[in-house]
Parts: sequence; C-alpha cells; structure tokens
Amino acid sequence: MEARSPSRWGAQEWAAVAMFLAVLAVPWATDDLLVQSIVNRVLIGAMAALSVFIMLRMDLLSFATPAFMALGGYAAVLLTMHGVTEVLLIVPASFLVPALVALPLGALVLRLRGVYFVLVTFVLTEILQLVLFMTPRLTGGADGLAGFPAPTLLGTELSDARSVLALAAAMALLAAVITAALTAHFRQHFAAIEENEVLAESLGLVVWRYKAMGFVVAAGIAGMAGFSLGNMLLTVHPTSFGAQQAVDTIVYAIIGGRGSILGPIAGASLLVTVSDFLGNQGQYAQGLFGLLLILVTLVARGGIAGAVAALARRLRAPRAAAGPAAAAPEAARGGA
Amino acid sequence: MHEFLTAGIIGISLGAQYALLALGFTLIFGILGVINFAHGGFYALGGYVAYAAVSQAGLPFPLAVLAAVVATAALGALYERFLIERLVDDHLATMMLTLGLYLVISTGLLAVFGPQSPEFSFPVQGTLRAGTLYLPLENLVVLAVCAAAIGALWLLIYRTDFGRALRALADDRKVATTQGMRPGLLFPLAFGLATGLAGLTGALVTPILALSPSAGDPVLVTSFLTVILGGLGSIAGAVVAAVIVGFVEAYASVYLGGSTGALILFVTVLVILLARPTGLFGREIRGA
Repeated sequence: MEARSPSRWGAQEWAAVAMFLAVLAVPWATDDLLVQSIVNRVLIGAMAALSVFIMLRMDLLSFATPAFMALGGYAAVLLTMHGVTEVLLIVPASFLVPALVALPLGALVLRLRGVYFVLVTFVLTEILQLVLFMTPRLTGGADGLAGFPAPTLLGTELSDARSVLALAAAMALLAAVITAALTAHFRQHFAAIEENEVLAESLGLVVWRYKAMGFVVAAGIAGMAGFSLGNMLLTVHPTSFGAQQAVDTIVYAIIGGRGSILGPIAGASLLVTVSDFLGNQGQYAQGLFGLLLILVTLVARGGIAGAVAALARRLRAPRAAAGPAAAAPEAARGGA
Repeated sequence: MHEFLTAGIIGISLGAQYALLALGFTLIFGILGVINFAHGGFYALGGYVAYAAVSQAGLPFPLAVLAAVVATAALGALYERFLIERLVDDHLATMMLTLGLYLVISTGLLAVFGPQSPEFSFPVQGTLRAGTLYLPLENLVVLAVCAAAIGALWLLIYRTDFGRALRALADDRKVATTQGMRPGLLFPLAFGLATGLAGLTGALVTPILALSPSAGDPVLVTSFLTVILGGLGSIAGAVVAAVIVGFVEAYASVYLGGSTGALILFVTVLVILLARPTGLFGREIRGA
C-alpha cells in the first residue's frame, strides 16, 4: 500500500534542513565577529554530532568521529596546498577521503558491538592522532598544517570572515540533508538494527549493508566537519582531533537527544554557546557537560529533543482526553 | 647492558602501577559489565586527596594514602549504589554515567586546586646502589606496595567467600543471584574496591610522576590498552598485560623514542580487538 512511506521525510528532517537554510543568511545578517564565531563553531559541532547521531541510530557509540574529521580536514588542506582550492572539489574530497577509508575499515570494526565497538573506535582515534604526530613530512607533525591558501568558489577567494561562515553554513546544510536523507530512507532498517540486530538479520535484513552505509556516511560528514574546522582555525593540528573532541561530540548528540535529527543540532547549539558564554571560565564547561550527561541519562533519556517532544505530547494530551477517544492513545501505545 | 637493566626496572615499576589500575578496571567490567570511563578520575582524585591530607591536614604519607583509598572507594561505592545500579544493564547508559562522572571529577579538581601541578613529592628519596645500578628508592617502594596490593587482591578474589561471590556474579549473574548472592550489596562493594585501587595508585604514583586535574586522561587510555590486551574481565590477563605494557613503554622510550612504543601498543590492541576480542589470555567473561 504505502511501500515508499518509510523513506519519506518527517517534520523533524524538514525542520533540521530549514534551520540550516536559515543559518545561511547569518553571514549577511550580522557583522558581529563574536556571533559569527559562535555560529561557526555551532555549525562544526552540529556536523560532528550528526555523524555521531547516525552511528547511534544503529546503537553504536563511536569515538572515531575526530579521526574521520582529521582525515577530511587534512585531505582538504593538503589539496589547497597543492593548488586545488576550488570548494566544489575540496568539499567533496573532505567527504570522500574519510568515507573511502571507512569502507574497508567498516568491514573490520562493524563486526564488533557494544563496548567492544566503543573501545575499537577509541583506539582508532588515538592511533590516527599518533600517526599525525609521527608523519611530519606529510602532515606537519606536531606543527600541524597552517598558512594554506584560502579556498575559492569558481575563482573567487573565500577568505574573509563572511565567506568562511557562509562556507561552513553551506557544508552544514549539506551534512543535514545527507543525514536526513540517510536516516529517513533507512529509518526502519536502522530501527531494526538498534532494537535487535540478531533478530533483524534472521528476518532477512542484510544488516552489514546498512551498517556499512551508515558508517561510511558518518565518516564523510565528520570529514566535512574537519575541513570546516580547519578552514575556521586556518590550521589543522593533531590536538584538534583527539579523545577530548570525541567526548564533546558524543555529549552534544546525547544531551541533544539521540532519537531525532534535531537532537544533535540542539545539543551542539546549546552546549557550544554555553561554553562560549562561560568565557574565561571555559574550562568549567566540561564539568557542566558531565552534570548534564548524568542528568540526561538518569531522567531524560531522549535528551533535549526527547524532552521537548514529550512536553508537546503532554500539552496536547488534555485536549485528546476530553474527547470520547481518550483511551485511544493508551491502546496505541500498548500495541506499539 | 646497563641501560637495558635500568629500563627493565622502570618497566616493571610501570607495569605494577598499570596492573593495579587495570585490575580495578577489569573487575568492574567483569562483574558489572560496565566500562568505567571515570577510572582515571578516581586516580587523579586519589592523588589530590593524598596531597591535601599531607599539605593541609599534615598527615604522614602512609595515612594520606589510606585516606585517598577510603575516599575514592567510598565515592565509587556510593556512585554505583545510587546511580549506576539503576541502569546497570544498559551499556550505553553506564558509559554516559561514568563519562559524566569523569568530567565532573576533573572539573571539580580544577576548580578546587587550580590548573597548576601542586608541589607534592614522594617522602622517600634517594637511591639504592646495587653494583653499577642505581635504583631510585621511591620506585622500589611503589613497586613493593603495588605488588603487595596485587597479592592481597588475589587472595581476596580467589581465597575468600566475598571473592567467590564476586566471581560467581561475573560468571553468571542470574544463577549467582538465585544462589543467594546479592548484587545490591556486592556491586557497590566491587565498584568501590576497584575505584579504591585506582585511588591507591594515584596517591602512590602522582608524587613521582605529576599531579594535575587531567592526570586521569593517560590513565584511562593505559587502562583500556591493558585490559584489552589481557582480555576484558580477566584478572590474571590484566596483570600480565600490564607488565607487557610497562616493558614496551620503558624499552620503546629508550630504544625507539617518541611515540613509536605507543603506536605499536595501540596497533597491537587494535588487531587483538578485531581478531580476538577476548584478549591474549582471556576467555570471554561477558558478551558485549
């Protein structure tokens, strides 16, 4: 009947894309450098958190996001240093390089689940960081890569603050569209894997194919975030891609809510802004993240997005209860 | 030859510290199935409690170490009892709870003690001369205490009813519970025992190495490496793997330099995780 309905976008996917569309206007709406800097970091955090979100859809917690960010960031920067500055080439490259690495890597690591997957992705991030430090000829080693030429769009240099932010917003929009398309198209497949992978497989779902697809796309989106970070900082450096960043992106996704694409976006927006407002006390942001993480885990498993959705349901509930169909929601829940 | 022996002594001393840390980590995983991201936090906390006990309260160092053990064990047991316990079977939730605790502990230490490393030195100084070898006394003391603690832990786990109960819970929680083991009591005790070991290590070692609010970061990474190498949940494996990690680190820093040793360890661990997730010496204690 409605065989294609699973791939249809819901309100949340549209809302996510609309938000990033609106952000495209920010570079022209304000000249305030502080606002521009916060928005830029929110966009990068949101992209990285979307990558974590995709993996969480399959019940996999990944600490490898910074590793893929590094691959995308270094690949794009190395391209600009070798004369390729066209964003229409380097943005796809920042997606494709980590995605291509993730494909064979996925064949190895996606067999692991639960804590073993967590540990293997943690180890991957540590290894890549060590490799970056130990290959000074290619990656600049402990100095990182700096002083690379600004990216260009069809010959126009994107070097001023406004175009850097516009590029970040465009990449974030692209990341949101890709994430929305992937998670909406495979909503049921991912849900089946999240719920019970063994059962899904025995019912005929080729689990490996969907997990690989999710892993590859998550890697690519992380790669774009990595390039965006390098473009904002004007440098790529191994210390930008360590366990600390893995923790931050996971915190964005979990506190924002792993159940909806709006979750990681909300989490990154809120937490990046809050840590910015802490200013000089910035080091205390980690403690706040920790408290929120504990709180969300104990009392609001759906994170911010889940709590807002629950609140909206509760506000709507009294009206439904007034009607004769008061029992219907209960029945629906029981049948689900 | 001389260099070789000196590195060997450093290696075994490192190995003993790592063993204490890894034992706590692997106990928590083996018995509760929880990955304790806060393990490094308890290590740093132990260091600071000992430091505060010596510098503020004027306690002698051994009592300060004891205070660190008690404080970290109590915090661990309470955190398990009141928070982790509720979600103990949800691996993602327990990881988030321990990760959150780690962020809170390290930020708390930063807020109370500031970012600078405090002046905290080991009370026993000097070197022991054996032939042409000079052995730093502080390392020997740490080695002796760690060895004693490992021995005591072994006795506790394999020679007492408490240890038998813990091993029963690790083997099969359902059966153990029906046989009368009480997870509600034993889980907090096991967690506290493990975090107390991390606090003990921190109190002993940070005066020699360095004390800082983020001192736990490398500790967590080393604990990961060690327990994966030895087999998650395996007690004997953790000790053997800790000694291997200690030796590799010591010899690599002398003969290879830089981060080559670390890279070798990480790649080995990656291969082990992919090919034999039960580790070099372990059997699978618990499915992921």
